Amino acid sequence: MTYDVPPSPVAPHSGSRLWTAGASAGVAILVLVALALYQPDLAWPLLAGAALVALAAWTLSRWSGPAARTDHGAAEAAPAGSRLDPTLLQSVFEALADPVLVVSGGEPDDIADRRVELANTAARALLRTPREGGLLVSVLREPAVLEAVDEALFGGVERTTDYTGVGAQTRHWRALTRPLAPTGDRALALVVLRDETDVRRMELMRVDFLANASHELRTPLASLSGFIETLKGHARDDPKARDKFLDIMATQAERMGRLVADLLSLSRIELNEHVPPSGKVDLARATSDVIDAVSVLSAERQVRIVMEGPETGAPVHGDRDEIVQVVQNLIDNAIKYSPQGDVIEVVVQPEVTLEQASAPWSGGNRGGGATRLPLVTPDREPGLRYAAVTVRDRGPGMAREYLPRLTERFYRVEGQKSGERPGTGLGLAIVKHIVNRHRGGLTVESAPGKGAKFTAYFPLAAPRGAAGSRDFRMTAGRRT
Amino acid sequence: MTQHTVKAYGDELDQLTAEVARMGGLAEAQVADAIDSVARRDVALGRSVVERDARLDALQREIEKKAIRLIALRQPVASDLRRTLSSMKLATDLERTGDLAKNIAKRGLILAEGDPMQPLTRSIERMGKLVSMRLRDVLDAYAAGEIERAVAVWNTDDEVDEHYNSLFRELLTYMMGDPRTIGACTHLLFMAKNLERIGDHATNIAETIYYEITGQEFTGERPRWNPDTAEDIPEPPADDA
Repeated sequence: MTYDVPPSPVAPHSGSRLWTAGASAGVAILVLVALALYQPDLAWPLLAGAALVALAAWTLSRWSGPAARTDHGAAEAAPAGSRLDPTLLQSVFEALADPVLVVSGGEPDDIADRRVELANTAARALLRTPREGGLLVSVLREPAVLEAVDEALFGGVERTTDYTGVGAQTRHWRALTRPLAPTGDRALALVVLRDETDVRRMELMRVDFLANASHELRTPLASLSGFIETLKGHARDDPKARDKFLDIMATQAERMGRLVADLLSLSRIELNEHVPPSGKVDLARATSDVIDAVSVLSAERQVRIVMEGPETGAPVHGDRDEIVQVVQNLIDNAIKYSPQGDVIEVVVQPEVTLEQASAPWSGGNRGGGATRLPLVTPDREPGLRYAAVTVRDRGPGMAREYLPRLTERFYRVEGQKSGERPGTGLGLAIVKHIVNRHRGGLTVESAPGKGAKFTAYFPLAAPRGAAGSRDFRMTAGRRT
Repeated sequence: MTQHTVKAYGDELDQLTAEVARMGGLAEAQVADAIDSVARRDVALGRSVVERDARLDALQREIEKKAIRLIALRQPVASDLRRTLSSMKLATDLERTGDLAKNIAKRGLILAEGDPMQPLTRSIERMGKLVSMRLRDVLDAYAAGEIERAVAVWNTDDEVDEHYNSLFRELLTYMMGDPRTIGACTHLLFMAKNLERIGDHATNIAETIYYEITGQEFTGERPRWNPDTAEDIPEPPADDA
């Protein structure tokens, strides 16, 4: 706590001090001139003294002139700003889209002395710093940025620093640090953060997409061109072989088509991953719609799908097509890996906490039960509730060592075949990215011979119960 | 937070906390950069990670000195004492974390001399990201004084173990398939082990935070199992935390 000394009401400020000096000089000159009139023989030295005093007073007024004028200027500046609205600057600062911080520092080597003097709404939401005057290190730890702040505070250097924030979604930031005019004995600096994630992501995506896609497309393409060659040569006049080859080629072309479709939807979802969805979807209804839609496929495989839980009433924030795709991919997988005549259970839980949603179903990791592993975990937000959909099959299941890699693109569990309808290896990768975009979570629970259980959960659109008050988005929306 | 009659005392405590937070930021960056240098085969970045480790060591010594000075001069009690002691403990954990990151970067420098091992470094990167997230979470919990968050980190330690086990398997398969990769794979294996240890340090930090705030030992069975020997030893009966 620092003790600010308030200016004493009787202390002279520089303007009145000047006035006092001028008045005393005037009186002194008058006295000297009067003396000169009465004592004519001393007139010259006395007049010279009066001139000297006048000169001194003039010099004094010249010296302190600028200071007095600044005082005056400051007094004038306030009414000029308030011609519009005294709180305008304040509300503009709060409304800036980029997180902005004003940081102050006292001494260069006392790092506990770097404080956040002001943080706008975006900064408070991002750095979760509701109070102003907090320690800088407790909101921003990135060493490169801290260094840049120090340089701005004590070296007067402006610079930009790029850094990456880890989290459920990786974000790339660019921090601009700029020195401000100091107030009192504390140096000030401005920190503006800018989200550069989209730009970086585009570059990364392009590289990844090209590498994966070309690799996966090469196999069916090679077989296609092989058959074309054969059809041009030996098999040209053999109708039986030609039909057989054409069938294979059709299957391969179809596979390529599916792959391209999946890759495209994956890349589209990935590009949107940092843009939270704005719509509202009923998870329960979406699930029952998907079950209706796959009934043909499940009948073909003689697999029965049983749905538990309500048919409607689980509103979540989300993009309908994407939520449907999540449920669809999970159920498709369950059908693929289910033996004929088996049952798939689909359970919708309309309102659970994060702990319940990611809790193990049976016994947890130990005790011979299945292994449970979170594949996507959302950033914790206190009080937020979720709606969960669980798809459980009784297929071959997977050993624990395969679970962490399930959502990798083109990953396949060793020695498993997904039946006559081969997958593209992208289904769970797509699920993962959609769930991540929706700020939800995904958990898998499985053991060899015990089937697999996937649970996807999404934040509820209307948080009921004791949510709210600690939810930072509500703070962000509050007017200040 | 309680106010102290002597302002300098409160300042000194604040400064200790701030230095630990800054050290945490440095350690975090070291881990992230070490993983980056391995994933991108970035020799310059790897070297700078190795060089920057000295700063973590210096900070740790500094924090320890300050804490000892504070104990000697102010005789802190109750929550102040816990704060002082935990800053020393955290500094030790963070310094170890930095050492492990340095080791990862060093191994990365050796790997960069050979051929790229794309799928394997990807796995390391994934595990590294997970560990970085845990470290970030636990340091956020420290900065904000949130027990809930610290306990959440503590509870999810087995995620890192699962990743480690998966990577272990993957590496074994590689080495059996092509003995020429044994050298590189061993380095990757140690990197994975280092990451797993960093995860353990994050768990320790969570325990220390719990102690600092509540004054009680964190009780509860740590969700752990030994990945190296897990296949031979039957798993103990369930008692989940």
